[in-house]
Amino acid sequence: MTTTDSPSNPGKRLLFFFLVSLLFSTSALAGVDLLPPGFRPLPLGVHALVGGKVVVRPGEVLESATVVIRDGLIQAVGKDVVAPPDARIWEMKGLTIYAGFMDPYLMLAATNAPVSTSKTEPIGLTSGIKFFGVPGQENDPGSRGPSSQISSLTPERRVAQTYSPDAKTLESLRELGFTTANVVPAKGILRGTGAFVALSDTEPNRAIIKPDVFQHIAFDSDDRKEGEYPESFMGVIAAVRQSFFDAQYYVLDHADYLKKPEGRKRPEFNPALAALTPAGEKKMRVAFEPGSVLMADRAVRVAGELNLDFVLVSNGQEWRRPDLAKGTGAAFIVPVNFPELPKLPDEEDWDQVSLDDFRAWDWAAENPALLRQQGLEMALTTYGLKEKKDFRKNLRLALDRGLSETDALAALTTVPAKLCGLEKQSGTVEAGKLANLTVVDGKGYFDPEAKVREVWIDGRNYHVQAVKEAEKESKKDETADKEKEAKVKAEKEKKDAELKELQKQRVAHSPLEGRGAIKIEPKTEPQVVLIQNATIWTCGPAGKIDRGDLFIRGNKIDIVGQIPGGYSGPLINGTGLHITPGLIDCHNHSMILGNVNEATIPSSAMVRIGDVINSETDNIYRQLAGGLTVANELHGSANPIGGQNQVIKLRDGASPEGLKFVDAPPGIKFALGENVKQSNWGDKNVTRFPQTRMGVPTFMANRFIAAQQYLKDLENKNGGVPPRRDLELEAIGEIIQGKRWIHCHSYRQDEILAFLRTMESFNVKVGTFQHVLEGYKVADEIAKHGAGGSTFSDWWAYKFEVYDAIPYNGSLMRDRGVLVSFNSDSSDLARRLYTESAKAVKYGGTTEEEALKFVTINPAKQLHIDSRVGSLEPGKDADFVIWSKSPLDSGTVCLQTWIDGKKYFDRTLDSQRTAALEKERGELMAKAKKIAKLAGGGGGGEGKSDGTFFRRSIEHLYDGKERHCLDEGGDR
Amino acid sequence: MIGTGLFCAATVRSETFLLTEATIHTVSGATISRGDVLIQDRKIKGVFDASQPTRAIYPNDTTKIDLKGQHLYPGIIALNTSLGLIEIGAVRATRDTTEVGEGYTPDVQSWTAINPDSELIPVARGNGVTHAQPVPQGNVVAGQSGLVALDGWTSEQMTIKKPVALHLYWPQMELDTRSKEEFQDKSKWKSLEDQAKERQKKLKAFDDYFQEARAYEKARSAAGKNGVADPELNPSWEAMRPFVRGELPLMIHADEIRQIKTAVFWAETNRYKMILAGGRDAWKVADLLATNKIPVVYDYVFGLPPRDTDAYDIQFKAPEILRKAGVTVAFSVGPGDASLLKNIPYDAAQSVAFGLPESEALKGMTLYPAQLAGVADHLGSIEAGKEATFFVADGDILDIRTNVKRMWIAGKEISLENRHTRLYEKYRNRPFPK
Repeated sequence: MTTTDSPSNPGKRLLFFFLVSLLFSTSALAGVDLLPPGFRPLPLGVHALVGGKVVVRPGEVLESATVVIRDGLIQAVGKDVVAPPDARIWEMKGLTIYAGFMDPYLMLAATNAPVSTSKTEPIGLTSGIKFFGVPGQENDPGSRGPSSQISSLTPERRVAQTYSPDAKTLESLRELGFTTANVVPAKGILRGTGAFVALSDTEPNRAIIKPDVFQHIAFDSDDRKEGEYPESFMGVIAAVRQSFFDAQYYVLDHADYLKKPEGRKRPEFNPALAALTPAGEKKMRVAFEPGSVLMADRAVRVAGELNLDFVLVSNGQEWRRPDLAKGTGAAFIVPVNFPELPKLPDEEDWDQVSLDDFRAWDWAAENPALLRQQGLEMALTTYGLKEKKDFRKNLRLALDRGLSETDALAALTTVPAKLCGLEKQSGTVEAGKLANLTVVDGKGYFDPEAKVREVWIDGRNYHVQAVKEAEKESKKDETADKEKEAKVKAEKEKKDAELKELQKQRVAHSPLEGRGAIKIEPKTEPQVVLIQNATIWTCGPAGKIDRGDLFIRGNKIDIVGQIPGGYSGPLINGTGLHITPGLIDCHNHSMILGNVNEATIPSSAMVRIGDVINSETDNIYRQLAGGLTVANELHGSANPIGGQNQVIKLRDGASPEGLKFVDAPPGIKFALGENVKQSNWGDKNVTRFPQTRMGVPTFMANRFIAAQQYLKDLENKNGGVPPRRDLELEAIGEIIQGKRWIHCHSYRQDEILAFLRTMESFNVKVGTFQHVLEGYKVADEIAKHGAGGSTFSDWWAYKFEVYDAIPYNGSLMRDRGVLVSFNSDSSDLARRLYTESAKAVKYGGTTEEEALKFVTINPAKQLHIDSRVGSLEPGKDADFVIWSKSPLDSGTVCLQTWIDGKKYFDRTLDSQRTAALEKERGELMAKAKKIAKLAGGGGGGEGKSDGTFFRRSIEHLYDGKERHCLDEGGDR
Repeated sequence: MIGTGLFCAATVRSETFLLTEATIHTVSGATISRGDVLIQDRKIKGVFDASQPTRAIYPNDTTKIDLKGQHLYPGIIALNTSLGLIEIGAVRATRDTTEVGEGYTPDVQSWTAINPDSELIPVARGNGVTHAQPVPQGNVVAGQSGLVALDGWTSEQMTIKKPVALHLYWPQMELDTRSKEEFQDKSKWKSLEDQAKERQKKLKAFDDYFQEARAYEKARSAAGKNGVADPELNPSWEAMRPFVRGELPLMIHADEIRQIKTAVFWAETNRYKMILAGGRDAWKVADLLATNKIPVVYDYVFGLPPRDTDAYDIQFKAPEILRKAGVTVAFSVGPGDASLLKNIPYDAAQSVAFGLPESEALKGMTLYPAQLAGVADHLGSIEAGKEATFFVADGDILDIRTNVKRMWIAGKEISLENRHTRLYEKYRNRPFPK
């Protein structure tokens, strides 16, 4: 080593100085590096890494090249580069040199698991918005000091202000080859900004390369004070939306105030809103952690609404809907925390592993490759791994399942550099870039056996202290029988090879397989279908046609009645069969992702069921099999003013957006009685207003008056700052303007009347009363107002306010002129609304044709979609059901269900479908058991039972479970 | 429409009366499309097919009740219910369904807590239910059930058999696979290994309890002979005696496949009389149940299929799968909700739509439950010698559109009026607005 500064290339040297001064001259603390006596002196900053294989960037390799480092930067790279005479020479023969790896999503707090996709706790209370008796009423809610009123909204938090790494963590990351990372905030929904740091043992001031890389948003509905707003996914999204609107307003308001502070109201100081502004103005990228592929789809839509620049953090399950992932067009930050087989105590315990559990396990390693196949950019992260050291092992699994090494390397270097806006300084091994390098033994990084030898961070060498297990072993066994050792080794190798072979092959199918419209033969353009000679219950003016034909053209009904001869297209012989319009459920919660209620606050008018439609639940198929084609997905009844509803068609296989009934006018859920006054919520919940039936209309009137004032403010265009957009009052304002229909959960006659009168005082016409079990007592009043009644056929006595519920309710209301429907409010009952309608015949003598209307045209009218669906008439949507007998006969079976002229359910294909699923599960179980055996786990186990294997996806959380009770976040 | 039967004062009472021209669903034998039933002294004296030469012989002053075009069915017997023990689910004061304890309360007796004036009882009667088995719910050994007739001035008068069965709620066999993070109270989380150990422990404790009960029974039987003293009287062990002797059945409540399998194995090993109640997954082990002659009181027709590989209609088909294998199936709506007990025929009807023969569906609501409750000698079918307990309907009882018109329990005609019909009558007569 020489200390003489004699540059071989003065020109380059000059350029280098220029770069250095550019980078460091602004630092007040930069200067002479000579430490006072007593300290270990700093090493010199000139190094030449000689003879290694240099991967300049993914796909570009220099064999036996030299990398020159000077004062923290790469000075030169090349095969012909000569080591400067002042450089310390590092022999790199046989080693591979990569640009230093970057982890774009490093969460340092040990307790932070990935965004929970598990069930959130039900019912509770909340804060954020000033409602009486909910958490957050103190003068300083949210975080201490000036902040958002909602504790999970902390966009002002900066990792750059608190970053203080612990040496062990840094070392463990360097062992994996990482040199830099974006350290991200860990808690809340709007989490704050991360900081991009060098993983070097240096003080935080020097370690931080770039503060405020992303604003982090997680759709995390857990991890907050009990009962605090928002606790549902739809509430989370509403809170995010409102925050960005508030930030926009905040900027305008403050600018206005600065311009002319006199004579106007002083704006509040809010650091949270100020901190959100750069993201809102596209000056800072947002990193969403949506927690599921459906919520990723939603994140992208919200980002579109708010005009945000963003990246997504994968939850590892984009395989569920690759189409949705592709549709995001976004770059993904991808963890490799693949589920591991659990150690099951008994052989029979395998029985409780669902097909979906197996699929999630088998697909996991393929997910990164799958994202690349969708043409999406991808960066890898160690995030989510319980044991960071599993990173390389799991990365190898991903490579074995189709991820290319080039893509993987890009995902560790160039892509994260680009996403974090650091592509000029890092990501490749090029002159002028930060001297961050990862040096690996043997076959290179993607061989998990090859050790990371050392990393270089800002030109400083960090030797990685990996324990050489092989050496230790051989020492121990030196005296042992060499032959035996070889045999054991060979056996292990054989096992490993077998294991690898098994892991390489995916057995799981796509969950989209076998879903969607069923092929019709022969195909025509447009597709036509004729059902001949059936009994047709039109539910329209044509009444019941005893022997008739139904002719479908494209997605519409063309002819109902008799069609002229000469037809030669696809034909269904309907002799002996019955056809009805597709059934419509005016009250359903089965296709909602996560909580059905934003139960925390008494008015949650800002939340939208349309944000959380679950297109993946098994409920869709099961309800199709009962003839259901349209469902009104409603918010629950935990609060007087609930959330906005979403009408969907059960087009199984479509995306959440694809399920939506686009032309259905908007609506909103309201509720009265025991649920909203928290009568059955336990003794803790006695503080929120309202607690009585008296308080409910008081509360409603208050919000409507507030909305009236809001509408007035919007109209006042006398210059100045336009009013803050208020999503709650906006929705209530739409009710007042007649653009949004109320569906009001109700039971007792007195509360029904009180509600009617309150709404009438605002000139609001109520859409429907839901349940309305004492509707028969005030049917005249409901009819006079013109509201519909959507009731249960015969539920009663499950709580006090339904003690007077009678099964004659539907017939009695109908007799007095109320538009009546029967609804399910239950994932089970929604499968058999047809037999429910027969109860109107039994109780109260409604005629059969009229009774069938309770589940067809009447709910269509209640939802204001009757021009499209609900009856079989020419020009309407071709939504219909074919039955084996009269739909009201208890012995009838649904044979086929059609939506938009496409067949979505065919009973003759069902046994095939079930057999295929069972077979797949059997194959997956066989594979799992083999792997468990090879990996040497006891009754099961590849490894640890860390719970990742059984983490039930949010999409299937409620499958096989009823969703109607209040305490399950439902509604009854 | 409400038939006149609802409003005739329940006074059609005669020692001898003749039902004529009805379609008689005897259940035990062939259905008679037109026939007469002679009732004498609260019992069925004879059943006569109009197409056969034999005619009823009766005194001249015998009341004749013309049932032309109507259907006559034996009363529906609803097993495994909470009728009479619960009024309004959400109101705690009205719930008497579930005791607490360490899981061993065989001396709890359901028939002591039946509210004869429960509004739910007449509603159940309104659709043909004449008898019910209110069961104690709870933990492991929850207590004993009786059979009650849905008629009587007092709970004692209503109770026609006690005990009917001892109720065991089989320990959970499924592992809770949630990770620690998913638990709100982290201290409640247990590893899979620990859960498996606990599962074994629970089964062992439960088995021990029965062994101890047997020892008590042995000591009690031996007492008094050869100077052996009586053991100290213990009401818990005392209550167990007829059950461990195998004289009376154990109704084992179990849904999940492993629960069912272990329960069958245990009952078989110990030669206990077992009835499976609940039985969600019973269809998966139909042969095992048939081999061991274990009947099923099935209450899961309208439950959602629990697995993602299950056919959508598996729970509808389950009764037929079981029947085909040779298992006796009785229908129940389960003890969860007594307010909709009236809908039992529709559980059965759904099974018929998905393959079960109609005759078996009818037996599953009448004769089979009578057999399981040990009262088939006088209930469960329309045949000579049995009690005059039946109802008249204007159509097929397995069809929702049908209405029940009249009902007799033990020869006494019962009013079908109930809370629902009363409110219906009241409000349908509300004056129309001008």
